[in-house]
Amino acid sequence: MTDVMTRRSAPALADRLKPFSLPLGIVALLLVFALIEPRVISGANLRNIALQTSFLAIFAAAQCVVLLTRGFDLSLGVTVSLVSVGAGMAMTSAGVAAGLAAGCGIALAVGLFNGLLIGAIGINAFVATLGTSYVVMALASTLSGGFPVAPLPPAFNAIFAQGSLFGIRAAIWVALIVLLAIGLMLRFTTLGRRLYLVGASARAATAAGIRPAAVLIAAYAICGLLAGIGALLLTARTGSGEPNLGGNLTLESIAAAVVGGAKLTGGEGGISSALLGALFITVLSNGMNLVQVDGYIQQVFLGAIIVLSLILGRDGARR
Amino acid sequence: MLNVSGLTKRFGGFTALEAVDFTLLPGEVHALLGENGAGKSTLINAICGTFPPSEGNVQLDGRSLLDLSPLRVREVGVAPVFQEFSLAPALSVLDNLFLGREATRGPFLRRGEMRREAEALLSRIGFSLPLDEKVSRLSRAQKQMVEIAKALRLSPKILILDEPTASLTDGEAEKLFEAVARLKAQGVGILYVSHRMAEIRRLSDRVTVLRGGRLIATVHTADVTDAELIEMMVGRPVDELFPEIHNSPGAPALRVSDLSTATGSIRAASIEARKGEVIGLAGLVGCGRSELCRAIFGLEDISSGEVVLGETPVAKPRPDRMIAAGICYFPGDRAAEGLALNRPARENVSMAGLRLRKLSRGGLLRAGAEPEVVAGPLDKLGLRPMMPERRAGAFSGGNQQKVMLARGLVDDFDVYLFDEPTVGIDVGAKTDVYRFIKQLAESGACVIVSTSELPELLHLSDRIYVMAGGAVVQEIARDEASETAILSHYFGE
Repeated sequence: MTDVMTRRSAPALADRLKPFSLPLGIVALLLVFALIEPRVISGANLRNIALQTSFLAIFAAAQCVVLLTRGFDLSLGVTVSLVSVGAGMAMTSAGVAAGLAAGCGIALAVGLFNGLLIGAIGINAFVATLGTSYVVMALASTLSGGFPVAPLPPAFNAIFAQGSLFGIRAAIWVALIVLLAIGLMLRFTTLGRRLYLVGASARAATAAGIRPAAVLIAAYAICGLLAGIGALLLTARTGSGEPNLGGNLTLESIAAAVVGGAKLTGGEGGISSALLGALFITVLSNGMNLVQVDGYIQQVFLGAIIVLSLILGRDGARR
Repeated sequence: MLNVSGLTKRFGGFTALEAVDFTLLPGEVHALLGENGAGKSTLINAICGTFPPSEGNVQLDGRSLLDLSPLRVREVGVAPVFQEFSLAPALSVLDNLFLGREATRGPFLRRGEMRREAEALLSRIGFSLPLDEKVSRLSRAQKQMVEIAKALRLSPKILILDEPTASLTDGEAEKLFEAVARLKAQGVGILYVSHRMAEIRRLSDRVTVLRGGRLIATVHTADVTDAELIEMMVGRPVDELFPEIHNSPGAPALRVSDLSTATGSIRAASIEARKGEVIGLAGLVGCGRSELCRAIFGLEDISSGEVVLGETPVAKPRPDRMIAAGICYFPGDRAAEGLALNRPARENVSMAGLRLRKLSRGGLLRAGAEPEVVAGPLDKLGLRPMMPERRAGAFSGGNQQKVMLARGLVDDFDVYLFDEPTVGIDVGAKTDVYRFIKQLAESGACVIVSTSELPELLHLSDRIYVMAGGAVVQEIARDEASETAILSHYFGE
């Protein structure tokens, strides 16, 4: 049946516009907010949006990589907290470089642990990462004793939060590099290809000689590492190792990826979902703040938008 | 009873069906024949109300079905059984039979009543099914029977069977034929879609042939020969379905000795295959021939025995190692295990050869070279339409099969394992698959074909191993092979 239904001479106009609907939506959203509150499109606020987006985009990119394999990472938020605390402690005792190494090491370890549970042992992503999140949360609280790790070396904040190159802040540079690297990895490496294939059909991939276990371990390790990089940037910004830094990031990062167009069914989508989704959510929150929408009402809007984007993102013609 | 007149269906600029007339009488089995893409599915969907036709009319006993929803169409007496199963795998057979139409008293299910009704239904149609078993644990054949039984629950006037025997063994198909005969005697009109000539000849009163969305002819089955039907269907004379294979058995390519699997699906099976030889694996579904292929390739855990490739024993088969060692396996369940359906055909062709130097260097894909690497094999197999960037799932069954088989040409393999290579594909594509097998064997590869199609065993293989209950029960040489010789071993002598 499918052969007949998809054999159309030209895609409908709506289908052709689909890739542009989110960027257009973001612009429209900005303009609507700007009509109510002109400060929304001031240079200072646009720079602020860019900075905010870069953190979320890194976390969304982490989720995108595992969403491709039909998984997700519920431990992302607490990993951010643990990295913040762990890197903070290493930094105070052994310097910035040691802190960065510790942060990345911790993040990679959490990611590998998730990957082993899911890939090698075969536990489903929901249960595995939920379990991990409890362990990681406990570690973060225990290590820090519940208190922020401070003060961090001033150089850390100066470079990774205040620093800028060609007038662009460090966090934005890092986000751009991360997104570009992941984008290139997905498109031009065998690992990237295997991520798509394992997500589309792990059984078919197996029968074609691809080992889903190895691919899944790599996916969660990358996801963890990206969460760690984002965590280091956030830590630089707050200036202390925070045991609660992760907060809502797990859900926000999944939401951004999904709003951006990543499919929970795996095997489809790319890194642009992370960037666009993060930008959309940041513009929405930022705008609502500036036009003084009540904080709780903001959550309602966010929730509604996420559900709506899932409904609109469904492919009607495909089965 | 059912009267379809001037039915036309367009999808955008594409005409899937053009001015097709079709009638179905009470107690008639009317076969619908055509290659994939000929419009069979479109016709069935228009009758079932899945989508409205662009022009024309569909009437059941003088009443138009066009403005009815698919659900209503079922209720007025049209029962379709599609190839894709619409069963809930986690529920029992009984639950599935009554899914959405449970017998209830208030909010409570009347399980006893449902069980009695289900038993009566099964005995009426002559199927034996374990009512309390979960559907996910059933064989494909059993699932098919559940699907048919479910359709028959509402005592339909018209039963639509879309390739019902595609996954059945001959024994199971026999059961289905008996059920069809019984329903026919009860006055049910049956629209029967199949690619298998023998079935059409045996069951049908009339045949309607579609090609390219047009009605080619409606004829009485008794008045035409198979060759005439095939010619009508493919639009060209088919001199011979099976090519002549000039085999020249050479050095040993694969030896399996006393192989058993951990699940017990294979018991001490031994086979031997040489280069340039086509080996047939015969037996009922579940006899272990599929599992033997899977175990050789490393998809089933081996508990004892040995696999020797050429001269080298393989300690523990694993798909990636076996591919590297020169074994190519084509799974029988194309949709579940053969293809990543929502990825482009190109990626499906290259997926088993990503490690090759022509496709990657040090983990970096050679994205520029890939389309070319893939084009040759697809061209050789005759993918239609030749659109490597289209997602694999959008192709017809036969062309999906070609996408999967193209994998075998990306790399150089010594041994090819085919499991049910022609399930659910049309005659045209079948001949392409047979030609592919011929080319492989004649170029010196060792080909092993596990199939439930007796004609394939007889026409393609040099030697046949018959399996039953997980064991190899008989080896039959080409000049001794005949349907009876093979069938006599199906139940383990």
